Formats: sequence, C-alpha cells, structure tokens
Amino acid sequence: MTLRWWRFAGRNLFRHRRRTLLTGSIVVVGFVAVTMTAGFMAQTFDALRGATIDALGGHVRVFDPRAEGKTDEEAQAYLLDDWEGLSRLIREDRRVVRVLPKLSFFGLVVKGERSVAYLGTGTDPALEIASGHAPEMLVQGAYFSNRDGEDVMLGAGLARSLGAKAGDLVTVMTATPDGALNAVDADVTGILQYPIKEVDDRLLFLPYRTAARLLKAEGKVHVLAVRLADDGQTDSAARSIGAVARAAGRPVAVKTWLETAAFYRQVRLLYIAIFLFTGIVLAVVVVLAVANTMTMSVFERTREIGTLLAIGMEREQVRRLFLLEGLLLAAAGAIVGAIASLLLRAVLNAMGLQMPPPPGGTRGALLFIRFFPSAYAAGFALMTATLLVASWWPARRASRLDPVEALAHV
Amino acid sequence: MAILEARGLTRVYRVGEERIAGIRDATLSVAEGEFAVLAGPSGSGKTTLLNLLGLLDRADEGTLLFEGRDVSALPERERSRLRRERIGFVFQAHQLVPVLTARENVALAVWIRGLPEGECRRRAGEALEAVGLAELSERRPETLSGGQRQRVAVARALVGGPAVILADEPTASLDSETALGLLGLFAALHRERGAAFVFSSHDPAIVSRARRRLTLRDGRITSDDLSFGSGAGA
Repeated sequence: MTLRWWRFAGRNLFRHRRRTLLTGSIVVVGFVAVTMTAGFMAQTFDALRGATIDALGGHVRVFDPRAEGKTDEEAQAYLLDDWEGLSRLIREDRRVVRVLPKLSFFGLVVKGERSVAYLGTGTDPALEIASGHAPEMLVQGAYFSNRDGEDVMLGAGLARSLGAKAGDLVTVMTATPDGALNAVDADVTGILQYPIKEVDDRLLFLPYRTAARLLKAEGKVHVLAVRLADDGQTDSAARSIGAVARAAGRPVAVKTWLETAAFYRQVRLLYIAIFLFTGIVLAVVVVLAVANTMTMSVFERTREIGTLLAIGMEREQVRRLFLLEGLLLAAAGAIVGAIASLLLRAVLNAMGLQMPPPPGGTRGALLFIRFFPSAYAAGFALMTATLLVASWWPARRASRLDPVEALAHV
Repeated sequence: MAILEARGLTRVYRVGEERIAGIRDATLSVAEGEFAVLAGPSGSGKTTLLNLLGLLDRADEGTLLFEGRDVSALPERERSRLRRERIGFVFQAHQLVPVLTARENVALAVWIRGLPEGECRRRAGEALEAVGLAELSERRPETLSGGQRQRVAVARALVGGPAVILADEPTASLDSETALGLLGLFAALHRERGAAFVFSSHDPAIVSRARRRLTLRDGRITSDDLSFGSGAGA
C-alpha cells in the first residue's frame, strides 16, 4: 500500500469530522484505560513483590530437605545445623547481599489475664535492621537491637488482642522440638504493623539467640533467608546455592520467594483476571462503536463504492481502503491516547491520592502509576487489533457490493 | 474490427415472484471509433444494456465479445481489469469522490492500476487539459459547477486511454446549453482520440447529434440507424 492509499483513507476519515472525533475519542479512552490500569497494576505488583520478599527475609529460602512438603507444624522438627557455617558458604556467592537466620515457632503469648496464639520468628536484629525494610513497619517503641536481649516485638493486631504496648512485659510460651514446654519473659520493645492482616494478628519477633534458647536449638535454624542484590538473578542464584551447599556436604532444599509466596501469586492472578476482563469489555465497546461508524460510512458511500468498482478498482482494494481507515483511526487514537495517558499519570501521581489497603493488607499506599512502556505497546497492539476487527465486516460488505446495485443506490 | 459485439443478450430481473426482462435478445456491434447513442424512453433498457456492455453486469443469455474475445464468462477479477484498462465510464451524476481534488479524481482511475504517482499526475493533468479544466485541477468537486464536474468525470473516463467510453445519460443532470457543450466535448475528444463513444439519452436534441442511433423500447432494440442525425461525432 503506497502513501496515496493512506492519504485517501485519511481524507475519508475527515468526511464527518465530528463523527470521526467521537469515535476516535472512544479509542483514546480505551487506550488510556489500558495503559493506566497496566501502570497501576505494574506498580502494585512491584510493591507487593517487594513486601513479600521483605516479609520472607530474602529472595531465596534454604531449609532442611526433610521439611519439604510438610505442614508448618511438622516442619518444626527439621532444623539446619551450624547455620553460621552454611551462611558463610552461601555468602561466597557475589550475588548474595546477606543471609538471615530464621527460627520459626508458635505458642501462646501471655499478658496478665490474656493469652493469644502467635506465630513467632527468631531473627538477627542487626541483620534485620541492615535489610532496611523492617524498621519501616515500626509503629510504636523501638526496633530491638540486643542480640541476646529478652526483648520481643509484636504485630499491631496481636498487640491489640493482647492489650500490650511498647514497654510492657509479656510471657512467650512454646514447645521445644522434643515436646517440652518452655517460656521466656520478654519486654515489648516495639509494635510493628505488617501489611497482611492475617499475619499482623499473629506476628511475634524474638532475637535469634533468645528464640534459640527458648527452643533449645542453639546454632540451628529452620530457614536461612538469602537476600540478593538483583531480583532477576533469583532462579540462577537459587540453583547455584543448592549446588554449592550439596557439594560441601550440606544437603539442603532451596526455594525461591515466588515458590513460597502463594498469596502473591493469588493476588497477581486476581489482578490479571480483572485486567483481562476490563480489557475485553473495553475492546467490545470500541469494536461496537467503530463498527457502527464504519457501517454508516459504507452505507453513505455506497454509490461511490459502486463507482470505484465500475472504474475497475479491485474488491480487495476496496476492502483494504476501509481497513486502512480503521488502522489510521487506531494509530491516531493511540498517539493521542499515549499523550493523554502520560499527562493524566503525571497529574494523578502529583496529587498524592491515598489508596485503600490491598487485599488482606492493613496499610494503604499513595497512588502511583508507573510508566510501563510495555503497556503502551500493548495498548497500541490492542487498539490496532480491535479496530481491524471492527472494520473487517464493514470493509467486507463494501468490497462485496454489486456495482450495478451500488450505482443505483439512493 | 468491432470493439464490442453483443449476440442475443438477455437480462432478466426477479422482482418478488415476477420476472422482468431488462433487456431482451440484444444484438449489436460497436466498431472502433464509433459514435453511437442508445435512445429510448425511461425504462426502455438503456442503462441495463450499457451495464452489460461495460462488464458491470452479466447477461442471463447471449454472448458478449470485447475486442473479439468472449467475455461473457470471464471471472470477476479479469472483468475488473478490462474495465480499468479498456473501458471508460461517465455516469448520469458525475460520481466524483468528494474528498479528492479534480486531479486526484482523474488520477484515481490510473493509480488503481498501480502506476507511479508522477505518471498518474501527468496523465491526469493531460486529461483535465483535454476537457478544458487544467486551471481547476486542484479544486474539490463541491467547488465546481455541474458541467465542470461532468467534465472531470469525462477526464476520468479518458485518462486510461480506453478503447470505448460508455456514458449513461451523461447530460441528464445538466441544463440544455451545458448538455450541448458536453456533447461537443465528446465529439471533439472522439475525433482527437479515436475511442468509440456509446452514450444513452432520451433527449431528442442530444440524440440527434450522434451518427448512429440504436432505439430501445421495452428492453428490445427496435431500430439501428446508421448515418443518423447531424453527425457531431464524425
């Protein structure tokens, strides 16, 4: 198709400027909706991924292979020995930023007359602070810092149920791996607000060494959480960490954060499903609007189409002419849509709108719509495909007109 | 040599249960460089016969030869090619594309053949000059008078260098002075270019200007008078 065909198609679009502008504005709105939704989704996925990796302590989790496939309760019995030796081995990989020891336990936490079930984690305070994210969750008191201290931090939901605040004394009770009951009195140094409510309602942190004494598991961990410098290296790092550990005679199981994070996967699937549904509805609206416009155009130009066929234009050329009109409308709509989308994004991001918490979350966040180039490319592709579909039937109808009947059309 | 030769052409239309013959058993021959008129009242079959001769429609019966070749059963694509390259059309209403200039309307008839842009522009310019509209070539149809539009349509029919130009009531929407002027243009172009002209009309003043008159009535050719009229086309 040469430039003159495009020029001809372009002029045809401007026969009825108001109608073309109205139809084009539907394309623009469709494009803006696609790019804004995708940008918002991309930002949400990024934030949720970051929060999930933070919550897990790192990108890769290393644990006793016997715990694989077990329930949390069953997995309590399987601990990795000499975590510090294993940690040194893992840190030899240049992609690794830090390795956090994690001891998991559960039981009851008691304050006065109240006792509430908790899910506890023993971790290294200095390493947690170094990871940068944990202190951000602090809503009251201070983040614990004493590696040997009998200090505890509680999730805001758990603290509320317990009626505890920073500075209170609570008793943390649990069962050791061999089944004995043990307890420790600890000062509440801080209250954390965790973004996932179900976790926040049960969250409890002890310094690793205190937790190890409580569980009678000194030098052992349930999990080593490995933080990497680059998200994109997760899979390859996980494979090599497993291989290095096994080569050193340390049989371990290794999982990436994505394999562990069922919640993240579910939320992602839910958002994608909503996005697809919205996209389909938008596409149908655009198809109907454009098909209506093009059908009217074919009807109004019936005699002209008859003339074109009479002077020898091929039916294929007539069809292409109408398809080109659809393509031009898609391109113009997408270009204007991209500009509108960038402007709207800048305005919305500058407004500082507070969003409600995500599913299962406890904290909202400021609305931020990321610039997501793939969404603009996808929007362009979607609008092009949609307008081609919308133009197809009118174009086919035009190309199949009988020239004699078309010339006699009134 | 005959450009067009029709033998027993019949075209029947179905209107509900009824079958109406638009043209019946039409036999005629149009020679190279001929200037002929199809005369007859409205509904006599002039347009139907022109549609058949111009390969716009297919006869139910009979044979049509174009430049000696039987084109009755030609596939659609080949009929389009013949219309594009060997036949020029002028319609009752000018039937110009409103979004194109006069030059582009004329060039359209050759750029659908895939000729280069420059060649199309050159040919269109020449055709417009031949019909006396070179100065108005960049004007759009809505800014031209009825006679000027019809001249642009004539230029569009001429631009491809056709063997025959078929014109269906080309003067019907024009006043009598403009109509006679257009017919004079037909005659001049016919003399200069040598293409055969076949046009239809029910206006006696127009009909009398043709050398050959084929009269139609109720779908039949009732007479074929050679050396009729003033011979404007000679």
